[in-house]
Amino acid sequence: MSMNRRTFGKLVLGAGVLAPFHFVRPAIAQPAPGDELVVGIWGGVQERIVREYVEKPLVEKYGCTVSYVLGGTGERRARAYAERGRPSFDVLYLNIFESRQAVADGVTQAPTDAVPQFENLYDMAKLGGYGVALNPVTIAYKGSKASTPITSWKDIWKDEWKGRIAWPTYPGAEGTAGLLMTSLAWGGDEKNLDIAFQKIQELKPFAALQTSADQAFQMFDQDIADLTIEFGSLSRKQSDTVNSDIVVADPTEGLCPAMNVACITEGARNQVLAEEWINLHLSEACMQAYMREAYYSPTVKNVAIPDDFKDKLLTPEQIGRMPAFDWEYVAQQQTAWSSRFNREIAG
Amino acid sequence: MLARWKGQILAAPVTLWLLAAFAAPLAVVVLLSLHEYADPFGPLLLPPSLAQFQLVLGDGFYVNVLVETLLLGAGVTLLSAILGFPLALWLVRVPSKWRALAFMVILIPLLTNVVVRSLGVVLLLAPDGLINGVLGLVGIGPFNGMLYNHVAVAIALAQVFMPFIVLALYDVLQGTSPRVYEAATSLGASPTMAFWTVRFPLAFPGLRAGIIVVFLMATTAYVSAKLLGGGRVWTTGMLVWQEAISNLNSPTASALALLMTFASLAFAALVGWGFAKLMPWQSLKPRGPTLTLPVWAMRLLDLVAPTLSRLLVACALGLLILPLILVCIQSVNNVPQGTSAAWKGFTLRWYELVFTQGGYTDSFLVSVQLALASTAFALAISLPAAFALTRFRFPGISALSMFWTLPLSLPGVAIGIGMLRLLQLFYTVPTFVGLMALHVVLVIPFSISLLVASVQQLDHAQEEAAQSLGANGWRRFVLIVVPGLMPGLVASGIMAFLMSFGEVTVTSFLTNARTTTLPVRIYAEATFVLEPTVYAVSASMMLITLLSLIVMNRVFSIDRLHVR
Repeated sequence: MSMNRRTFGKLVLGAGVLAPFHFVRPAIAQPAPGDELVVGIWGGVQERIVREYVEKPLVEKYGCTVSYVLGGTGERRARAYAERGRPSFDVLYLNIFESRQAVADGVTQAPTDAVPQFENLYDMAKLGGYGVALNPVTIAYKGSKASTPITSWKDIWKDEWKGRIAWPTYPGAEGTAGLLMTSLAWGGDEKNLDIAFQKIQELKPFAALQTSADQAFQMFDQDIADLTIEFGSLSRKQSDTVNSDIVVADPTEGLCPAMNVACITEGARNQVLAEEWINLHLSEACMQAYMREAYYSPTVKNVAIPDDFKDKLLTPEQIGRMPAFDWEYVAQQQTAWSSRFNREIAG
Repeated sequence: MLARWKGQILAAPVTLWLLAAFAAPLAVVVLLSLHEYADPFGPLLLPPSLAQFQLVLGDGFYVNVLVETLLLGAGVTLLSAILGFPLALWLVRVPSKWRALAFMVILIPLLTNVVVRSLGVVLLLAPDGLINGVLGLVGIGPFNGMLYNHVAVAIALAQVFMPFIVLALYDVLQGTSPRVYEAATSLGASPTMAFWTVRFPLAFPGLRAGIIVVFLMATTAYVSAKLLGGGRVWTTGMLVWQEAISNLNSPTASALALLMTFASLAFAALVGWGFAKLMPWQSLKPRGPTLTLPVWAMRLLDLVAPTLSRLLVACALGLLILPLILVCIQSVNNVPQGTSAAWKGFTLRWYELVFTQGGYTDSFLVSVQLALASTAFALAISLPAAFALTRFRFPGISALSMFWTLPLSLPGVAIGIGMLRLLQLFYTVPTFVGLMALHVVLVIPFSISLLVASVQQLDHAQEEAAQSLGANGWRRFVLIVVPGLMPGLVASGIMAFLMSFGEVTVTSFLTNARTTTLPVRIYAEATFVLEPTVYAVSASMMLITLLSLIVMNRVFSIDRLHVR
């Protein structure tokens, strides 16, 4: 095969450009005993599960140490943004829309197959990081107060719920779900939210606006509200353990996707350990612990669901029915939507 | 020569500390507020623009929230003063052996997590809550609209801020010699007259300190408003948090925080000016306006005051004690979620978790170390500042005293915003030292406010007597001044310790794995699902505090010399 000078030149140039990439993977420092992986995560049961099912095997394998920076998503994200390029975290946990924006902003890395479990993730769990827990948002209500079971997001507008709704505040996963699913149910989408704001205003006056699942369930217990929009997992657990009157709806339009996402920071000092950490988080043992403790549904397909939990977790059909939103767009609109929400819904 | 500069020298440590640890984040907040638009990755220094201030002041929603916050702060301050004054009088009269217990009752709200406190208020005001239950017994009610409004938020805030007024008043009331009342009553003054003309005016220094502190804290609070406002109550703190943390819009958040700070400081200055007019004797000026009541009002008050006073003390104690009962019950309740009030059976599981898992003990120790170090440092530099403020007059002292109050009037979230821009600088010092520096900044305004009232109460005659007997300055300080200041030092120390121990807003931005404090750990849990472990932690904290106060009361008596 003959090759002219121009072709040869192109090849040399191409090889020159690509050569550094040959060194990239091997150049990533391999873990050494004593290395410290820094993980930013929520406290409580989440911290306990990862300590048991992720930290232990990781430390056993590499002799490393794991340090936790505990806190809320907001503070964690604000700090990660302030540290962009020089992160103190190796791994941080975010919510679905924040994680995708963080990748777009160069704060965290897009997911890759360097994490072996990546190939088993559901498609929706492969964007913006590694989805580690599916936890969609739906309607939770008191069964004793419903004339018929709720089967559609539009049922919220039935007269029987007037003045008895604890609407979730925005921003937040539940508030975002409230806006997006209202829009979807009434013919709009995430890019046409006027209809959502109009329809939600029709529901006023609310019994109250709720800021968390804990608060919403407290309002149920105190007979202040009968219906809210909440994480299905937490609502089902509340129903099983505290208030059996709580019913978790499965609307025909679908549940609103929400997910905990593990993200590796751009410039993480312990890349390999971070990837291994996430792979262990996606392991069957860890996923099952999340199922039992928090009713979280797995984000990977190769995990067995115990029989006694099958009716508490998402079915593949429900996962398939969840609407796909442009989460980057949703994240970009947060300031504008919260300004509008404060004035039109909360005000 | 040195004596000429004594005031400036005494004012220097606290000023230098604030310049080093507070001026930098404050400057960042000012610079951010002058950004035309939000860019989380943009440079800090940009051509200044007033766009954010125009945006806030030109938007009816923001202005309404600013006004709403000021009114809420005023309401909370009024409620705290009305309930706090009788409570302080009660605290002064409590026999010495019961004082540690009485102090603990008053400090309970500061020992419990904000979510726990809020749940207490919910149980008090809910449709099937305590108040409706009691009213139902006499056939009144139920009143279903008591929750999720401004009144509920004001009650929750008064519950936690009232102790600040009580402690400020406690020191001043104890510092007033009983001979003054004896003189008034021996001249024929009724109890109401003696209170109105002697006890109440002499308590003004403490009342002024308490009012300023409570107002500034109430106007920067946001968690209780978020939890108990039910979406109907907005505060500037909530907006600052939302803009800065949720929307990553630091410029608007900074402008809001600064406007709120200006408004709060203006109020503080107004209160200071008003009390100065009411206390002409402090500046040796001619007698100013006096508080007079018509004779019929005096007679009426003579009749109702004892009952009214007892009723107010009962209300105040009820408001303070309710969380204690709730915390103790919930700490052994076998429910999965901490906010669930339904009784599901007895368990010690939450205590087991606290003491065996989850790093609570480590976090507790970090918090204690941090709070002890911050308290010691804050007292060491606040005491000279209190003397500078009360005993020396030099140019700029008023401006300095305003500067010392600034950390209290700037929302904690705003300091967090400033620190986020200074993270790389923050990382150059050990995290513990950095956190301590900031905690000292946050507690200095409290320490100075309480100590100023205490220094004002010192009896100069005792110092002069010691001097005439040959005691040098150091001996006078150790033997006369320190014992005289002991109630103030103890009150200030307790308050500083609890403020530092409970601080979460700024700490949550800066903590690392080795400096995770107990409140940050609890907050981190609450952001997911609040487990009843938080109750076990709070109940344990109460026991530890009670024991500490008993020991403290034995080692350093918290009474003044003439009371002992």
